[in-house]
Amino acid sequence: MDKPKVGIYGLTGCAGDQLVILNCEDELLDLVGSLDIKSFSMAASGADDQCQLDIAFVEGTVVQPDEEKLLKDIRQRAKLLVAIGTCAVWGGVTAMKNEVDPKKFIEQVYGPAGKVFEVIPPQPLSSFVKVDLSLPGCPIEKEQLLRGVASLLHGDLPKLPNYAVCTECKMAEYPCILVEKGLPCLGPITVAGCGARCPSYGLTCNGCRGPVDDINVASEINILKEKGFTWVDIQNRLRTFAAPAPPLNLQTLEEAKNA
Amino acid sequence: MKIVKLPKEKLAEFLSCLRAFGEIHAPTKRGEKSHVFAPLKEPAGIELDYTRTILPLKKYFLPPMETMFNFQAEKGYETPAEESDKKYIIFGVHPCDIHSLKILDLVFGGKYVDGHYFSRRSKAAIIGLDCIPDEFCFCRSTGTDFVDDGFDLFLSDIEDSYLVRVGTSLGDDMVKAADTLFQEVTVQDREKYKKKSIQRGQSFQSEIQLQDLPEIMDLEYESQIWQELGEECLGCGTCSMVCPTCYCYAVFDELNLDAASGQRIRRWDSCLFKDYALVAGGHNFRAQRSSRVKNRYFHKQRGFVSQYGRPSCVGCGRCKEYCPAGVDIIEVVNKLRSETRV
Ligand code: SF4
Ligand code: SF4
Ligand code: SF4
Ligand code: SF4
Repeated sequence: MDKPKVGIYGLTGCAGDQLVILNCEDELLDLVGSLDIKSFSMAASGADDQCQLDIAFVEGTVVQPDEEKLLKDIRQRAKLLVAIGTCAVWGGVTAMKNEVDPKKFIEQVYGPAGKVFEVIPPQPLSSFVKVDLSLPGCPIEKEQLLRGVASLLHGDLPKLPNYAVCTECKMAEYPCILVEKGLPCLGPITVAGCGARCPSYGLTCNGCRGPVDDINVASEINILKEKGFTWVDIQNRLRTFAAPAPPLNLQTLEEAKNA
Repeated sequence: MKIVKLPKEKLAEFLSCLRAFGEIHAPTKRGEKSHVFAPLKEPAGIELDYTRTILPLKKYFLPPMETMFNFQAEKGYETPAEESDKKYIIFGVHPCDIHSLKILDLVFGGKYVDGHYFSRRSKAAIIGLDCIPDEFCFCRSTGTDFVDDGFDLFLSDIEDSYLVRVGTSLGDDMVKAADTLFQEVTVQDREKYKKKSIQRGQSFQSEIQLQDLPEIMDLEYESQIWQELGEECLGCGTCSMVCPTCYCYAVFDELNLDAASGQRIRRWDSCLFKDYALVAGGHNFRAQRSSRVKNRYFHKQRGFVSQYGRPSCVGCGRCKEYCPAGVDIIEVVNKLRSETRV
């Protein structure tokens, strides 16, 4: 079998997910050995950006019309498109303030110079193209990436956990910081896969992997309200990483709060 | 049953003698308020004044995740490198947790014996320890506040000493190996034990009525209570992970990068997870969270009774203490029973 042709791309993001790929130190040789990498600008020059691809990995959020064009071009050339990282999957931190007109931010940050490029409200890949596999995380988890690639090579989609971070937190037997200390942990509504990385250090889960399927946001809001957090704090916390996710849009949250 | 006495100041010495029988695991502190069973390095690290550990003993015999076998396209199947024959001793196990092991033994020792479970189970000695209940414990209601068997030794605290019940010949060997540390039980010890037993019985703060609960649950199958519970519950899985008798697992394959070899994994699963009752074709038998929470209660308090003659809940209080949403099994049962509701 020919090695699958692969392209690895970054839109607007911190490049952290691409870095995770490069950081697969022990597996890197096996990884590049099993793939025919046609484009990975962060790691090598001489990219072939015209060829047909078996798999495209795309990091980052779409924030410019140019990126939308690039993404659509990648989609057209690729049999499978994998969104890597919470920005690509849910919009990430760039999308946390989409209710404000982006032109305002451009002005504030770049002054008159900002007029040279056009921006649109930051959106995840799925707002523009069909995504075949989503690997969330800020950044993605190396293990999930490798399992994902292995499954794709085999012709399957990987089976990703579809339960909350709390499950992994308890599997690893970390004390619950929400119950013990009343800290605003988002583990109950965040999708697992990181092994409860933050609670393992005694820190709250900030929801960087995005919402779990069948999220009960109303109950999480209730818990945080009972612990004394303000509505503004709660909203900001819930909307840091995945604001475009339907259960976390402002109207849904307002309804959940009053339910 | 043979009963001897171990003065508390001899405990450290006894623990050293026990090392000859295997690696000692005992309750130790984790975080500010929690405890876990972990390998005991120094006798001083032992925390016998604990109420419950985050995870129960199932973690030793049915680990959260394990490789059942490796596979390779040409070679076929291969069990993972033989687990060592290392024996271990789990020290300081409370009665509810011993009962939970008896329940797991029943389940995994049924018609199709689970070799993975028993290969580990047979290597572990259990040394029990009595306890004083806190507000979450309701083991008196579930009949699991005391054990007659299921341990090699069982220690009961009588102020300055432990009364040590010998449950198995292995336990007897342990006592014999530390012969000089033990003393005979005196009349005063006996009186102290009885006094303590009464005190302990009076210190239960929580109870549920289990008699006719299965019938009540059948009658309340369509109750609004399950809807309300589904709204409160986050489906986070915590209660299932920490429950000593939640034993569901998922089995799946993980592939290596060569896409021709991999591992068959088993990992804890829970009926609270969205995908638990999802079948081929996309139908989900329990798509609603409320139906999933209901299932957990029904299996513990209703289904298990039909199958094994007793509920699988041992009243350890873990699900209540660790639930982020404060879902309280006692409250649920009381609500189901309450007559004032229309
Ligand atoms: S610490 Fe956070 S992730 Fe862990 S069980 Fe508690 S709420 Fe869940
Ligand atoms: S615990 Fe939460 S914030 Fe931390 S890595 Fe996992 S999902 Fe992200
Ligand atoms: S611990 Fe509580 S919130 Fe989490 S699944 Fe169990 S009942 Fe629901
Ligand atoms: S249902 Fe709750 S109280 Fe009963 S055994 Fe499980 S964790 Fe303990």
